[in-house]
Formats: sequence, structure tokens, C-alpha cells
Amino acid sequence: MARPAAPGITLTIDDREVTVPKGTLIIRAAEQLGIEIPRFCDHPYLAPIGACRQCYVQVEGQGKLQTSCTSTVAPGMVVRTQNTSEAAREAQVANLEFLLLNHPLDCPICDRGGECPLQDQALAFGPGESRFVDAKRVFPKPVPMSPLVALDRERCVLCARCTRFCDEISGDRFLELFARSAGERVSIAAGEDFRSPFSGNTIQICPVGALTATPYRFVARPFDLTSGDSVCQHCSAGCNVRVDVRRDEVVRVLARENPEVNDAWICDKGRFAFRHADAPARITTPLIRDRGLEPASFGEVLTWVAERCAGARVAFLTGGRLTDEDYYAMSKFARTVARTNDLDHRRAFHGGLAELVAAAGATDRETSVTYADVERAKVILVAGLDTEQEVPILHLRIRKAAARGARVVVVHPRRTRLHDVAEHILVRPGQEVSVLDRIREGVDDGSPEARIAASIRDAGDSAVILAGERLAEHPLAADVALAVAAKTGARFGFVTRRANDRGALSTGVHPDLLPGGRRLDHAEERAEVEAVWGPITASEAGRNAHEILEACAERAVDVLFVIGADPLRDHPDAALVRRALANVGTLVVHSLELGDLEPFASAFLPASAAIERDGHLTDWEGRWQRIRPVRGALGISRPDWEIFCGLAAAMGADLGFETLDEIRREMASLLMPRSVGERPNVWAGAGAPQWIDDLTVFTYPMLVDEGRLSDRADELKAALEEPAFAEMHPVDAEKKGLSDGATVRLATERGDVLVPLRVTEHVAAGSVFLPFNQPGVAANTLLSGRSTAAVRVEAAEPVGSADVPAEAAEAAEAEEATA
Amino acid sequence: MTVDFEPRLTRDWDDPGVIGIDGYAAKGGYEALGRAVTMADADILELVKSSGLRGRGGAGFPTGMKWGFVPRDTGKPTYVVVNFDESEPGTCNNRELVERDPHRLLEGAAIAALAIGCETIYIYVRGEYLWQSIVLERAIAEAYGSGRFGADALGSGKRIDVVLHRGAGAYICGEETALLSSLEGYRGQPRLRPPFPAVEGLFASPTVINNVETLMNVPDILVRGSDWFRELGTEKSPGTKMVTISGKVERPGNYEVPLGTPFRVVLEDLAGGVLSGRGLKAWTPGGSSTPMLTAEHTDVHLDYESLAEAGSMLGTAAIMVMDETDCVVDCAQRMVRFYAHESCGKCTPCREGSWWATRVLERIEEGDGRDEDLPVVRDLGKNLLFRAFCALADGTASVINSSLQHFRDEFEEHVRLGGCPLKVDHLEEVPA
Amino acid sequence: MTVFEGALRADADAIMARYPDDRRRSAIMPLLYLAQSVDGWITRDALREIGQLLGITTAEVEAVASFYTMYRLRPTGTHVVNVCTNLACKLRGAEAVFEAAHEAAGVEHGAEMSEDGLFTVHEEECLGVCDFAPAVQIDFCNHDTVDPARMRELVAGLRAGEVPSPARGPAFASFKAASRALAGLEEVPSA
Repeated sequence: MARPAAPGITLTIDDREVTVPKGTLIIRAAEQLGIEIPRFCDHPYLAPIGACRQCYVQVEGQGKLQTSCTSTVAPGMVVRTQNTSEAAREAQVANLEFLLLNHPLDCPICDRGGECPLQDQALAFGPGESRFVDAKRVFPKPVPMSPLVALDRERCVLCARCTRFCDEISGDRFLELFARSAGERVSIAAGEDFRSPFSGNTIQICPVGALTATPYRFVARPFDLTSGDSVCQHCSAGCNVRVDVRRDEVVRVLARENPEVNDAWICDKGRFAFRHADAPARITTPLIRDRGLEPASFGEVLTWVAERCAGARVAFLTGGRLTDEDYYAMSKFARTVARTNDLDHRRAFHGGLAELVAAAGATDRETSVTYADVERAKVILVAGLDTEQEVPILHLRIRKAAARGARVVVVHPRRTRLHDVAEHILVRPGQEVSVLDRIREGVDDGSPEARIAASIRDAGDSAVILAGERLAEHPLAADVALAVAAKTGARFGFVTRRANDRGALSTGVHPDLLPGGRRLDHAEERAEVEAVWGPITASEAGRNAHEILEACAERAVDVLFVIGADPLRDHPDAALVRRALANVGTLVVHSLELGDLEPFASAFLPASAAIERDGHLTDWEGRWQRIRPVRGALGISRPDWEIFCGLAAAMGADLGFETLDEIRREMASLLMPRSVGERPNVWAGAGAPQWIDDLTVFTYPMLVDEGRLSDRADELKAALEEPAFAEMHPVDAEKKGLSDGATVRLATERGDVLVPLRVTEHVAAGSVFLPFNQPGVAANTLLSGRSTAAVRVEAAEPVGSADVPAEAAEAAEAEEATA
Repeated sequence: MTVDFEPRLTRDWDDPGVIGIDGYAAKGGYEALGRAVTMADADILELVKSSGLRGRGGAGFPTGMKWGFVPRDTGKPTYVVVNFDESEPGTCNNRELVERDPHRLLEGAAIAALAIGCETIYIYVRGEYLWQSIVLERAIAEAYGSGRFGADALGSGKRIDVVLHRGAGAYICGEETALLSSLEGYRGQPRLRPPFPAVEGLFASPTVINNVETLMNVPDILVRGSDWFRELGTEKSPGTKMVTISGKVERPGNYEVPLGTPFRVVLEDLAGGVLSGRGLKAWTPGGSSTPMLTAEHTDVHLDYESLAEAGSMLGTAAIMVMDETDCVVDCAQRMVRFYAHESCGKCTPCREGSWWATRVLERIEEGDGRDEDLPVVRDLGKNLLFRAFCALADGTASVINSSLQHFRDEFEEHVRLGGCPLKVDHLEEVPA
Repeated sequence: MTVFEGALRADADAIMARYPDDRRRSAIMPLLYLAQSVDGWITRDALREIGQLLGITTAEVEAVASFYTMYRLRPTGTHVVNVCTNLACKLRGAEAVFEAAHEAAGVEHGAEMSEDGLFTVHEEECLGVCDFAPAVQIDFCNHDTVDPARMRELVAGLRAGEVPSPARGPAFASFKAASRALAGLEEVPSA
């Protein structure tokens, strides 16, 4: 991040000197002196517009007042704000009078009351009474812009922050200014709702109560709330958030500014999916099957579990949402207490060098990428990743880079919402590897790959390559992307999807990897870990998630821990999971609730929710960020690391730490970023693409779906969750005689589903897209361990038309005939 | 008192033949273009600079200097945009100029294009000038057909293309950056400067935007020279100016006069004096956006400097005349309503202030004015001046400030009487 | 596409071709006139399809369309009568002409059009015919120095199916026809 500083510009504001970089706006320079110039339309992350006219200052030598939000500093400039200039103050008061002219006296019922810039400024120096005696402009209100966002036109001051956000940042231009003069209004086009995964940001930046959030409407006042800083747990973007709690219930989540991570934004899922931790289904006491799943004490349940683990074959399955400390404890417990290497947090990917490099936290130039690198990049290649749906704030950063002139290319089976700023190469799932290989080779045949290769080469270390974790499913595809970087000097980032997949990876929640990406089967690296942990006696090579489940199904596992995961919904092979859970000896669940696992669970240990925890999350860049508890843990729920300590003690072992600080100290030594020593020679060419079959179904989760963390986020789902659909290319649809809107049956060797079809050229020919976890359609019932499978597609009767049994229909006809 | 001079812009107004290209050429048309294609860009520039020609659209900025601001080394194309959005109340000289002499505009624009290395000229014409835009379309077709425009203009190897683009009813689109915004397919709201259009204008490329009348002066300058151009007008404002005079006069119309001609000459000699011999009460020198003047100013000279000294501006030289039977409050109210309607809505003072001012002035005119209203109107005039994003609000302020300045008693009378003194036959004084 | 198909699609393509390839958005204004020439006003479908043609959202199209007074976004009379009441025309009696227009056309103040669908009446800002005030435009054709009697005459004529001769240029038969000319697809024979 650090760059040699350009010489600054020194100016005087209200008789105080300040030096700032060239190009700084006066309003920003003033902030550095702690001088707040009132403003509405100005926002540090939006281009200046000079519309509200509130921020007037007097600049010596200029006859007219200047808007400080559009004027850049000049050497020796002398500026007077409202604090030291009567003219500036008068102009601001006059402008406030104009703004309040038509503003309704809604404060008592307005969500913004108490945290409203207009209110603050009116109270600070506005006139106490209005001189306006004529009729105000009134409008019907509120007007829904979407199920999440409502507009009150009477309160709107037409600062255009919302429309500019949509134009400059998200590119979802559904909010626009209509009409002109006093009739100007923010609006959507009828029938074209404000459906954007970033819509909630407009509410947060609205300087008045014009845009309000339906989930927060009339819910609380600022003084009702206790707030805590945290990091969003919905994906690996690592967005900084502020969580607002009222009487122990989360009522709102806001973005917290961090220019190094999320700028000032979060996505709608992070903003509006906050109710799962307060769901009625949440269980906050241990449960035990022997007692008919009745509450029991921790002591009782831990003892019971410990007995079953002693000398048994134990395995661990987890998700990607626990803290680094939780994962570290899990990793150590598995190896040193449960004596097994059967633990995994991943669902489907195969590893390879890219994963190893990410696990090691390597910060070699070509193996790490930060948000800043993306923002400054001249060329960005995205492969195997739909940023808008999977890591939304990374999506915004890529758009920011594109706005600055970056060339963006996406290699993916399906067109993404970067399409207006990026060239897309649609490839069948599994074929990305050959496209990337051609880029690595630097082919020179006038093809898109050739042009991309040339751009990356020319950009050197201003090129960024982002590989989604799905790319690692296909043998070594991610490694080819890494090889492109190694060859050209570009920077490479392996983008995991869930909030702390990186943390799980780096702490060794992995069958083959120990903390810091150290390989289990590499004597020296293993010894480094044993120096801290003591001997790792688990001798058999570890099983990955899929293999663990197979072993459970074959009764080769005695005790299975499912920790912060929902394999029935999340693992890409629902049938296998069902068999595994049915056949495994003992199932121990750590989670917030039991849900679908209830019929199978032998014991339940209540985990505390993310907002109740202290710890670190590691985002996709590999950045550690601290989360702190926003409220106390409900009931007697506990963080998972504590549960492991308790379990170890119940098994007569000692994990070696009793507090978070102790864990951190121990972790620190093992998790320093390290280079991946001699790299396995992994690539010698991709060979011909492997066609799996005629059609391949591929899946990934949409941002808002039936995932557990979106439970009870009704407004969010109403706005952004689509009814189930599948997508197919026109060329394939025609061959099969299928039309847009028809109900089709997708069948694989594992199962079949019925779903409406969309025929679109925005998906690669030869592939069928089925979102992962849709209402009524679970893609994982079709899969056998990977996110792709061979699939047959044929027309089917729509669900509902087969409701009337054939005999009854015939009988009805017969009756009519005789009547 | 009249002024005899050789007409320039209106020279061929009595010859409908010049509307067609052959008639125009017969009168010497396109000779200037013939010269310009053989000249170096810099020489054309110099010539226009030395003529002292100033923009006729209201700002009065020296035209040659404006052309000189265009950087030629950016690698981007340069553009000439003709501002034919003429919407300033009281102004219609561009309309008649194009009706009667369309080729002269095309020739002037083409010469401007050659001066800045531009290959595509955009003409932005207000939508309401449908007939005039059709006249232009036909003239453009003739210019292409005769080889004067196109890929190889007059066999010079230089390209001259023209795109005609129509507006759709927005006064604000006469403002340069709003015009560009509209032309690019966005709402016609003005944009921040810097960057200035000369450097980053149409399609983010260096652009010159010129008024119709300005460009129609250019062919003569090419053929007759800058000394000839300076023979009329004043030293700082050389050349002639089209003046539109309307309202309460015997002969409303568009007249060409040398800059510096006294208003009296235009009013009495050209327009036949105030209608029905009534007394002059108030007049706008340059459209409703310029502070109004009174009978006291009848001898003011019509040029940039003199009008500035008199407390107003030349603007578009659109003179609207009010007589003693006209209520200034009523007129002010109507003019302010224009600005409220035409405000683009972007900035607070213009959007809210002009709307407020309309409400209050309407009320005063209708007889519901209160004592508290006058300080409000006065403050509005102050708070609109130089406080908005663009100069539209300054136009509103001009109306308010000048009408209050010269006719304050009329406002007070409205409030005191609870009605318009000029609309009531028999007045009854309301005790104070 | 339901609006821009066949010949109209060809018209739209011709309009878009006037502007540089990467600046097609400029075509939005003539495309809106073209849409207006189809139904006499710009329908929701037309707004959406213009968005599709230009690769922008319907909201972006409507944002532009709603900014200008010459685009009609609601059902409009066959003939649009525009009466200027700005200062120069007001001084010559335009307000009475405006009232006469409303009465003769049967359009209530604030109504979009007359009940028979024949007329829409608009109060206009300066039309640039100050030299022949009061200025009136019918379907954007100029009628000069109109007084209330003349206004009633013009409306009566239109009601009887006669298109009055304008002061300048040819007459357009309707608002739709004028809109098509405004799109740059003039069908008036050359002089």
C-alpha cells in the first residue's frame, strides 16, 4: 500500500495550516483539521457534483463563494468556512432555508431522526421557524422502490447520492432522477424494481429519511441501540460492519468504512440477513439423544461424547464461518486428541498448489492480492468466479478498477454482472483450464486468449488474476491460473467463498495440511508443527469431506462431528450425506440449531453466534480482522474453541490453552506467512478438454437463496431471491425441443428435479446452470461430490398439472357426456 | 436618428433565392469556405481572433480565443457544436437568420471546423424550431450533394460532416455543458467545470460550442477581412448585432444594428416606438435574464460595456418593452415562473428558490401579498445570485432584483391595496 | 420487440447510425420522437425497448424522456396546441388566447386532453416567435399573431378535419406526424 508520497500542498483553512496531497478537495482538507463543513450531496466515495450548495466557503481572491466539495486545493490558498466567514455562514443558512422549505415535519415518525445530517444542521444554525406560508408540495408516501427500499419524496433533498451510487459504484441503474425543476424526483421505472444486491447502501448514504429500509422502518431510535463493530460473516469479502442491537435483538447492520477492505459499502445480504441468530429454532443448551434430545449440562454431554471418542474413529466436518481461533482449536484437537486427520471444511475442491499457497498465507508478490491491488490493476482476469453473487464487494472493487480504465476479462460458464465492463469468455465448466493454459502459453493467434495474454504480459505486476475456489475442483485449473501469474509477474489471488474459508485453510482444518499450509507428509514442515503441538500420532492420511462421508456411510467412522455446517443442504451430494448420517455411529453437532440434522444427531452442543464472539476472521485476501461480541452469548452457548477445550479435558487431555489470548499466542508463531518452499512441479499441459457428457450441469450459490444464514430475512428474499430456474443455451434448447419458460426435468445419476427453464445465450453451450439452493429445488440432490455433473434434460409437465389423477379426469368426462 | 450601414447578416434577406444553394452561391456564398479549405488552421484562427468577433449567444466571449483553447494533440477528434437552442425569452433572431440564410450558418460552422481540425459538426436545434430544422436538413443535403460537405470537401481531401440533433423543450440546454449532456443522451443538466468543453466537451473530446449568429459572421470575415469587420461597432464590441425587439412596440421584429447603437434608435426608428404612443415603463436589454431597465435608460448604447455600466447586460439583445399599462409585478411573476419551469432541478437554490419566488409573486399579484413577503422576495433575489450551479438562477435573480430596484413602490402598492393597482378601475385605499 | 419491429426497427437503426458506434446513447432523443410518432405518446413498452436498443435500463430512458416538455408520457390528443404566454406574448394578449384554446378545444385546465381525444392544450414558454406574438404552435407548426378569435377558428378547423396552413413551412397532419419529422424522418416533399 505504501508509496512514496508526492509533495503535498499547503493551505490555510480558518487560520490553520494543513498540507494535503495534490487534487484534494477543500472539504476533505478541512476534515483533516477537524473542521466539518456541512454538506448533503458530497460523499467521499462518489464523484463531486456540487448540487446541494450547502458547503460554501470563502476563498481569498475569489469574488464568488466556492463549493468546497468541488474545489481542489491550491498552494497558499486561504479558505474561510462558516466558522470564520460571515458570507459563507449566511449562504449556508440561506441554503438551509431552501432545503427546509418543502421538507415535512416528519421527525417524530422518521427513521432518520436522531442520526440525520439535515436535522443536525437545522438545529445548529437553521431558522427556528419557516418563512414559507404557501402550500408545500405533497406526494403519496412511502413509495416502494423494492421490497427492501422505500422512498419518501417529501423528505428527499435531491442530493442524488442514491442515483450516483447506482451509476458510479454498483452499475445497477434502476434508481434515476425523473422530470425536472421542482417536480424532479428519484424514481424507478414502473415494473422495473430497484433489484440490486447493493441497494441498501443508498439507504445508508441518504442524508435524510427519504430512503428507508423496510426491515428497519419504525423499529428503533438511535438512542435505543447498542452497537458493536464486527465483520460480516456472509462471505469472504471481509466487510466491516456495525451491528445495532436493541434489547439483545439485532435490528440493523450498517457498513463501516474501511478504505482497505470494503470502502463504505456492504451488500444487501450482509445488511439484511441478520435474523438467523435470533431464530426461534435456535438452541442454547446442550442436548442429548439418550434423554430424548432434552437439555442437559455441558458437563454431562461432554462426558458422554468423550466416552464415545475414546479410542474411536473420529472425523470432523465443518463449514467456513467459524473464527480462526475456533478452527485452530479444532485442527489441534483433531490431530492431538482425537488422533485423526479426517477433518475438512471444504465441500468439493481438490487442492493443488493454489490452495497450498493460500493456506501458507504466502505474500510473495505473485501469490497474494489485496483490494488495493485490484483497485489499481490495469488488467484483471477473473476465472471460475461470479463476483456479484459470490463476493459482492470484490465485484464493486473490480468495477472501480474498470472505471479507472482497467481491462477486465471473465472466464466462466455463465455471464456475470460485470458484463458491461468486462469481456466474457463463456466456457463449459471444466474447460476453463484449457483457456487458462492457452493464456499461460502466450498463444499468438489473434484469439481472445492471445489478446488477454498480451495485456497481462504488458501490465506486469499491475495485472491481477483472481481464481474462484470452484476452479480448483477441476484438476489443477487454479494451478494453471497461478502458473500464468508466475510466468508474467501478475498477482494471483485464490478467492474462497465463505467468511472464513481462508482461516480454516490456514489453520489446517484439512486432511493434508497442518497450520500454515504445512504438509502432513512433509517431514520438516510437520516437525515445525510438532514443535508446538507435540507429536502428531495420527498416522493414516486424512480423508477429505467427500471421503469422510463415504466412510460414515460404510460405517467406517464411529463419531462424526458436524460443526457449524449443514451438509444436507450444503454438501454437493445429498444422497450420500443422508446415508452417511444414517449409518454413522454417533453424530455430534455444534451449531446454532439442529434443523434437518435433528433425526440423526446423538448430541448437540450449542455454539454461540458470530455476533456473540471474539476472534478473527480471515478474508479472501488473507487479511485477519478482529470481531468482537456485540452482545452476550445467548443461553449457555459457547464459542467452538471453548467446546474443544472442554471436550479435551473430558477426554483427559490438555489442548494447551484456556483463553483466547493463549490461543492467539500459540497460533501466531505457526501462522506467520511463509513461502511455499520447493513447489511441486504440477503442470505439464492440460491436454484435450475432457467432455463429461453431452450436457453438464453446474451450480454455485446465488447471493440470496435458501441458505441457513438468510433465514427469516423475508424482505431480502422478497427483493432478491428468485423462484427456482435453470438456464440453457438456445443451441442446446433447440436440439432438445425445449422452449423458454417450459418446465424441464434435470436428471443425473443421483436424482432428478423439476424446474422452469430459461433459454439464454448468456450461459455456455453444452452446460446447464442450476443455482445451488433454490426454493423447492436443491441442486445437491443431483450431485456426486462436485459442483458439476453429467445431466439429461427433457420436457416435463409443470408441477400441478399432474394433480388431477387420470381416473378422476376420465370419470368427470364420462359424467359430462351422460349429463 | 437612424444609422446607415451596409447590412451584413441581413444582407440577403430580401432574396429568398439564397435559401437554396445555387442562389446562395450566386450571391458569393461558399467562397469563404473555398478559401478556408486551402488555409492553414492556424491562419483561420488568427483571422477570426484579429476580427475581435465576440460570441453572440449572451456571454460575449471572444470567438477566436475560444477556438484557440482547443488542444490539437490529444489524439481525440475535435468537435464544433452549433448552439441553435435559442430559448431566451424575447429572442428569435437565430430563427429568422436560419429561415432566410441557412447556408450561411453551414458555411460558418464549416470554417470553424477547419480552424480546429474538426471533421464532424453537430448542430443542436431546439425541438420547437421544427420548420427551421427542416430548412437546415435540406440545406445540408444540398451542401453534400454539391461536394462542399462530405469526405472530400471541395476536393480538398478534408472531411466535413454534419449531424443535426434536435432538442425536446428545455431552456437549460442552451447552457453549454447542459447542451453537451443532452447531446450525449443524458438529462440536460449542466456539468462541473473544469474540465472545460474546449478540453473535454462532447464525447469527452475537445469541443467548441458557438451560437448561430456568431458563426454566421465568419464567412464575411474570411472574405472581407478583419479590418472590414471592425469598421462597424465599437472597439471592444466590433461588428453588428441582431436585435430582437418585441412586446409593446409598433413593429416587433429582428433588426441588425452595429454594436453601440443607442436603444432609442432601435425603439423609435426601427420598431416604430412604443405601441399606441404610450409611455415606456420598462425594458429588458438582453432577454428576461438581464436586469430590466427603465425609461431613464433610453439612451444607453447597445454594446457589452455600456450595458454593464448601466447595471445590466447585452445578453442576446432581446428587447422586450413594457408600457405604462403593464404591471411590473405581473410581468416579474411571469418571468420568474419561466425560470421555475425551466430549472433543471439539480441544485437547491434554483430549484427551491425559483419555485418559492413564483408562489410569493403570484400571491402578491393576486392580492394576497403580505408585508412579510417583500423581505422574502428581496432575500430571494440576494440568495439566488451567484449561489447556484449555473447562471439560470442568476436570470431569476436579475428579474427579482431589477424589478424591486426600479419598481419597489409597485410591489408595496400591491400589498397595501390587496390587489393589482393596474387591474382595478376604482381603487379604495386600505387604511394602513 | 413489439414497437420497434419491421420498418420501425429499420428507422431506429438508421437513427442510431447517425452517431459514433460507442456513443449510440445520443440516439435516445430521436428514438423517443420515433416512439412518440407511433402512438402519439411514449408508452412503457417503447421506453423499455429503447433501453434494449441502447443497452440501458428503462429507468435511464424514462429519466431522459421525463426531463423534456416535448415528450409526452401520457395519452395525448391527436393535435397538440401550444400557446406561448411568456413575456413578449403575454404583453400582446396571449393569456386570452390560452383561455380561448382551452374553451374551444374542450380541455379542462390540468387535463391531459379533451374528452373526444382530439386536442391537448399546453401553456408554453418562449417559442422564439416574439416578432409575431402571440405565438401558437399546432403540432409544432407555427401560427403567428393569433388572437382569441383566430384561435377558435383554428380549433374549429381542426375539428372539421382541416389542417390549417401554418405561417411558415408545411403543415403536419397530426402530432404523430410532427413527431416523426422531429425524429429526422421528414416526409415533407422538398421545396
